[in-house]
Amino acid sequence: MRIRIAAVVMLVGVLLAPQAPSRAATASDTLVYVNDISDMISLDPAVAYEFSGVLVAQNLYDTLVAFEGEDLTTLKPRLAQSWRIRDGGDVWQIVFQLRPGVKFSTGRPVTAKAVAFSFDRVIALNKSPAFLFKDIGGMKEGDTIAVGSDTVVVSLPKTSSPQAFLSVLTFTVGAIVDPDEAMAHQSGSDRGEAWLRNHSAGTGPYMLDRWDPESRAVLVANPNYWGPKPRLSRVIIQHVPESSTQKFMLESGDADIAADLTPEQVLDLASKPGVMSQDGKLLQLVYVGMNVKQPPLDNVKVREAVRWSIDYDGIIRSLLRGGARKVQTIVPEGLFGFNSSAPFQQDISKAKALLAEAGVGGGFTVEMLVPTGPAPGGPKWADIAAKIQSDLAKAGIKVEIKETVQAQLLGVYRAQKGQMVMILWGPDFPDPDGNATPFSDYAAHSIAWRNQYNDTAAATLAKQAALEPDLTKRRTLYKQLTDKVLHEGPYIVLYQPTKRFGLRQNVQGFVWNPMAYAEFRTVSK
Amino acid sequence: MGLVLLGVSVLTFFIAHVVPADPVLAALGEHAREDQIRSYRHAYGLDRPVGVQYLIYVHRLLAGDFGISIRTRRPVAEDLGEFLPATVELGGTAWLVALLLGIPAGILSAIYKDRIFDHLARIGSLIGASMPVFWLGLLLLGSFYYRLRWLPGPGRLDISAIPPPPRTGLLLIDSALAGDGAVFWSALRHLVLPGLTLGLFSTAVIARMTRSAMLEVLYQDYIRTARAKGLAGARVVLRHALRNAMIPTLTIVGISFGNLLSGAVLTETVFAWPGLGRYATTSAISLDFPAVMGVTIVAAVIYTTINLVIDLLYARLDPRVRYE
Repeated sequence: MRIRIAAVVMLVGVLLAPQAPSRAATASDTLVYVNDISDMISLDPAVAYEFSGVLVAQNLYDTLVAFEGEDLTTLKPRLAQSWRIRDGGDVWQIVFQLRPGVKFSTGRPVTAKAVAFSFDRVIALNKSPAFLFKDIGGMKEGDTIAVGSDTVVVSLPKTSSPQAFLSVLTFTVGAIVDPDEAMAHQSGSDRGEAWLRNHSAGTGPYMLDRWDPESRAVLVANPNYWGPKPRLSRVIIQHVPESSTQKFMLESGDADIAADLTPEQVLDLASKPGVMSQDGKLLQLVYVGMNVKQPPLDNVKVREAVRWSIDYDGIIRSLLRGGARKVQTIVPEGLFGFNSSAPFQQDISKAKALLAEAGVGGGFTVEMLVPTGPAPGGPKWADIAAKIQSDLAKAGIKVEIKETVQAQLLGVYRAQKGQMVMILWGPDFPDPDGNATPFSDYAAHSIAWRNQYNDTAAATLAKQAALEPDLTKRRTLYKQLTDKVLHEGPYIVLYQPTKRFGLRQNVQGFVWNPMAYAEFRTVSK
Repeated sequence: MGLVLLGVSVLTFFIAHVVPADPVLAALGEHAREDQIRSYRHAYGLDRPVGVQYLIYVHRLLAGDFGISIRTRRPVAEDLGEFLPATVELGGTAWLVALLLGIPAGILSAIYKDRIFDHLARIGSLIGASMPVFWLGLLLLGSFYYRLRWLPGPGRLDISAIPPPPRTGLLLIDSALAGDGAVFWSALRHLVLPGLTLGLFSTAVIARMTRSAMLEVLYQDYIRTARAKGLAGARVVLRHALRNAMIPTLTIVGISFGNLLSGAVLTETVFAWPGLGRYATTSAISLDFPAVMGVTIVAAVIYTTINLVIDLLYARLDPRVRYE
């Protein structure tokens, strides 16, 4: 009996013992990045449009031009060493001069034909990212022409913005694929799509070693890489869906970077040895859309009153633990044309006065659709909704929260049937037009349409700004547009989230691109 | 069994289709254009009446075709082949844990009724049965991996280990076939914590059932007779009492498989286990009907098969049970 009690006491003692001083560490040539990668469905750059697929593909392939680090305003050469836009009469022509001597990981040289093949392939396969070429670029198959072996000419209709198209080209959709390798593995007429799902044939610093779905993707250094050798020769992107487990692995030294920690977990890292936190910018905006055909939200004063009722600082401080920036205009910080104007902060008397002017001084009831699960930045959507509910109640507005699975919520929102809908938007490409048109042009059938916001002046401004080649004029146009939508539009922009990472202290050179990926070639430890 | 499967397929199919949401929107996301949505819907036959969709589905299913997943865009059969073995390995371990811990604990508890072991076992099984799997998983991971470093962390293998060529998908068997001792050892160690997490709930239930069944049997006349004949205590318990007490326990063992399946979802999340539970949840959230149907049918087949085997075992244990 005594032995049993002693055993129990010992067991409990061991469980509660202080942490063992020695910790394991990952191999010195390997980066272990833990992340929820359950959205990864393909690593083919013409197909991948999910966060984790894009993260991997960005490291396997190169694009003609790129934004480097956090800067999304200066285009840098990549596989193209130079480019120029010329007026080709009824089309824009973008002429790219390819960097000489670049080889694919397969050993074959990169040629102008490979570029034409890759762009045509995106259009022909017509998968999720294809609209970037077809709708934003206005491109068809055959619009990319190889002139000799090192010059490529892309023709765009005059209705497309060459600047916006160049920023599209920085994204994985613009990746250059080895045509011979892809076609050697063609099945049916898929141009190698099934094979490239879990193989790579690019020029990027890494090649795909293996991808075990719901488990991990392993990248190894590409021996034929044209640029400086990556500092770490292997990157393992390990699937760990639960954030507490990610934190255990990071603190234990089994992971170098944890990508999905909650705000509380990130704060907790400060008191732990050997680990640190790092913020990454994101271009997402978390906002509430108000359907302007649903009275009393049709009254611009009521919408303004709602905006004056919300405690934005409180949301960022207490729910996001500081992991967000207060942004209230429709173009996020980090993009050209960002307007830092953020006039709204809770002012209940002002809100009440506006409601009285609008003839609804007694308040009203409104339904707000909210997705399930966590919102960007960490807190649950429902918690942010509850905060807004209590804020609006102070002004006499009763909000009925309806928590709905995102797929179902989008169905209602797209059918213009929401009253108020809380959701996020991230631009499809790093150009202000990726936000300006969806948020202000009713005819684009996107966000403005869903909120039945049909303002011709706003739509015209968005179009003008998209096509304006003069950057100073373009900036002025975006200022006019964002100021206008800020007060007249149907949106309450709540915040722009920050992505927070946990890192081992020896990890250096990790830079998060606000388009939601990282280039691992710069990371060392 | 055919009837059960038909019922399961009809129910799941129609429940999945009355959900007022669009799987295509879930797959293509918020930015999808109308023409993409239309062509995607057409490609998956989602633009036809539900009844027709069901008939097409069953027709294909009979030929062994589970359809194409809307989310992963791969044949569901391929997905199942990829994720089922991980869950079988985990579930098998959990079941083994439940049987090896639960039955002896139940027997000892009954023999030492109202003594200290019985009290501890009962408290233990109360805790085991009421502790949320998710929390238990994090607790075990926090203790044995994070603090003590006795056991490895999440996943099926060490991060540096290279999996053996897949033959069965069961890492223990594949690594043994490949003669790779290091991977076998890594896979075995990785099974301990998730196996315990998933198995403890069933352990508790099985222990309680074994205890009460044994108690009922231990006071029967034939046990007293056996003891009076001078048989050794262990022989009486194991040969005479246990065999009779096993019948209700077996029923629970069969039913507990259902618990294992539902517990697998949470265990797999905590331990980053690439199994069917995670696949089922992710598919359900993305309204991926073909995948949800596939998982449900496979689960139903496994569940009914196990319970069939258990029914047959009754006859082995109890000569009075006869199947005509």
